[in-house]
Order: sequence, then C-alpha cells, then structure tokens
Amino acid sequence: MLAKFLDDFRFITTCKKYGLGLWQCPNFLFLMMGLITIVAMVGTFFVSSRFASEGTTVMSVTLEVVFIMIIGSSIIRGVEKVAEANIMKTEFISIISHQMCSPLSAIKWNMEVIETESDPKECLPEKQAVFLQNIKKSNEQMLKMVTDLLEVARIDQGKAVFEEKIFNLADLVKESVSDFQGMAAEKKVKIESQIEMDQASVCGDEKKMRVVFDNLIGNAIKYSKEEGKIEIKLRRDDGKIIFSVQDWGVGIPRFQHSKVFEKFFRTKNESRYRTDGVGIGLYLAKAILRHCGGKVWFESEAGEGSIFYFSLPTV
Amino acid sequence: MSEVTKKKILIIEDDRALQSALVEILTQEGYETASAFDGEEGVQKSRTEKPDLILLDLILPKKDGFEVLSEIKNSPSKNIPVLILTNLEEIDNVQKALDLGAKTFMVKSDFSLRDIIEKIKENLPK
Repeated sequence: MLAKFLDDFRFITTCKKYGLGLWQCPNFLFLMMGLITIVAMVGTFFVSSRFASEGTTVMSVTLEVVFIMIIGSSIIRGVEKVAEANIMKTEFISIISHQMCSPLSAIKWNMEVIETESDPKECLPEKQAVFLQNIKKSNEQMLKMVTDLLEVARIDQGKAVFEEKIFNLADLVKESVSDFQGMAAEKKVKIESQIEMDQASVCGDEKKMRVVFDNLIGNAIKYSKEEGKIEIKLRRDDGKIIFSVQDWGVGIPRFQHSKVFEKFFRTKNESRYRTDGVGIGLYLAKAILRHCGGKVWFESEAGEGSIFYFSLPTV
Repeated sequence: MSEVTKKKILIIEDDRALQSALVEILTQEGYETASAFDGEEGVQKSRTEKPDLILLDLILPKKDGFEVLSEIKNSPSKNIPVLILTNLEEIDNVQKALDLGAKTFMVKSDFSLRDIIEKIKENLPK
C-alpha cells in the first residue's frame, strides 16, 4: 500500500516535470477518487441508517458505493496507463530524434564542404552532380522531419526555447513566398500574394515563425491540384496582423475538422494526393503561434480547398 | 589571412564526420585547428593547445560538455570564448551552458558551416 502510494507520488512528480497540472495527473485523480469514495461511504451509512425505514438498507447502499468505486478506479487506472504510454512515447521520439540528428547534420555539413571546395556541377559528371543534389534534398527533408519531431517533444515537455524579439512579419512572408517558388514551380502551382503593408512588427521567435510559414504555405502547395494556384494575404485588422493562405485543392472533410491541429493528423482523402510528412506541422504551428500570443484557424470543404488563417498582435 | 594573425580553434566533438567537416571548412577559412574527441582530451587541449576559441559539443565520452565547460571556466583558460555546438536544444541545457559561461549556443541541425563561421568571427577576440 505504501509502495503504491510512493509510486503514485513519483508519477505525480513526473507529470509536473512534463508540464502537466495536478488535475491532469491520473494518479492524483485516483487518490482523490479514493478520498471521495470514503467520504461517500461514511455519508451513505449516515443517510441510509436514517432512512432505513423507507426501504433502503445499509447493505444495499454500501454495495452500490463499492461497485461505483471499483468501476471508477478501473477507468482511472486505464487513463493512467494511457498517460504513462504518452510520456514514454514522447521520450522515445525525443531519444530517437536526438540520435538521428548527429548523422544527418554530418551529411549536411560534409555536403556543404563538397560544395564549398568546388561547384559539383563543374567538377563532377552531370549524372553524379544530379545524384549529389538528390542526396542533399532528401537529407534536408529528413532533417526537417526529425527537427520538427524533436520540437514537438520539447513543446510537450515544456522545454522548448522561444526567443522574444521584434521582427517584421511582412519581410518574413515575402522571404517565405520566394523560398517556395521552386516547390510551386515543380507542381506548376502559381503563388499570388497580396501583402498590404511594408512594416508589420510582431514580437516572437522569428526562426520558429519560419516553421509556421513552412507548414502553412508548404501544405497549401502540397494539397493543391497540378497547375492550380494558392493565394497568400497579409492584412491589418483591429490592431492585429492577419495572415491567410488559400488553396483550391483536396480540402478537409468536415468530420475531421476537429482533429486538424492534433498531433500525427493526416486527412482521410490524402492518399489521392501523395504527400510526405508525418502530420505534426499544424500541431507545431498552433503551439508556436499560441506562444507568440496568436491564434490559428481554418475553413475547408472536401474537394474545394482550404484557407488557413492566423492572427498575431502588433507591437 | 596571414600567418601572423592565424587564430587557433579547438574543436571538441566526438563524431568524426562532423569533426572532419569542421576542420576542413575552418582550414579553408584560414584558421588553425586542434581536435579533441572526448571531454578529458578537450580539457587537456584547452590548456596545451592555447586556442583562441573553443567549439564544444555537449554529449561527449568520458566528461560531458557541461563538465568540460565548467573546468575550462575554472582554469587559466577561462577567458577563451567557448561556443556550444550541439543538438540538445532544450531550454534547461541552453540556460545551464550560458550560466556556466558559454558565449553562444548553436544547434547543429539548424546551423550551416557558413553560419558557424559567422558566429566564430563574431566571438573571436580581436
């Protein structure tokens, strides 16, 4: 009994370590359930002994309470196991991602050395230069996936580092639009942008805001039809900066709308549009925006496309 | 860069593929380099090699980066700028390294070799 109590206490400490409140900790709930049940039992004895004459027996009410207690305990133990599994999963992702970061960084840096020493296109046969570029591109994709997974684990554990600096969001949108021209051209998707201001000062982590644009603009292109277009807008509204990106692609079925910002979410109709990624981009975007005091939302219809918006307070 | 002004960088990094890329790019940029592949060797070379700047990984055999940093900062080499180069980007690690006296914190997966050179130039004593 004492060992169990200590175990519960240890788990509560672990929950605190992962940034979960006491009320979110199943072991705490379990201990509370025990206390409430004891109070209920004492109360029931008292009530049932007073109303025994009206046909309620002490024994039957006591059995009801014990029954409720057993069911309640089983449910909470189940929740506890799920929470434990979640923490283990986060740690697992974190460890694996860390282990993958070094070799992937080594590939990236060694590729950079080859490029710095000489232009591969000039000193390598044409075919090999293409293969080298393929390796570089694949490595970048893998590194992005792993760093995004690590960032999710850090956010879940409350260990993410957020810089707070004032920067110009309009410049960042322009840079992101320019960065995505290559990807859009590959799919023959046209990017139209309407940026209503030159200066849009916001406070937050500029590097992490790039991740937000990478995911929102990247998704719009990925889920667009070939030879389609996406529309990017940046405007001011009621002291806030509103960004939106619209596509006329696959869209998200209504029954999945509530899950869009969840971890590892992929749309059901996605198989028609083969895309890479593991479904953490929007989860990450929401967490980053929330940290900067912003909000993210969307409108979408299956087969018609989506508009993703976010708002940030101006400074 | 002339021989007279050639600065020496000590790289404390156990991953040989990362170490060799760093040595190559720094040599190309005109720096002299010294390499250490574990924490103990790192502390020792911070004294014997007399570097102008140290690049330090945090996960190292024998002694971790925090121990190395703390020993350097409590030794005659304490004025040598130490730049952390790691993948441990968690806030407690960043804070701990800065509290121990590191000049800056770079994440390997985010930084290109070009970015690292820029940080080295910013932090090298004039």
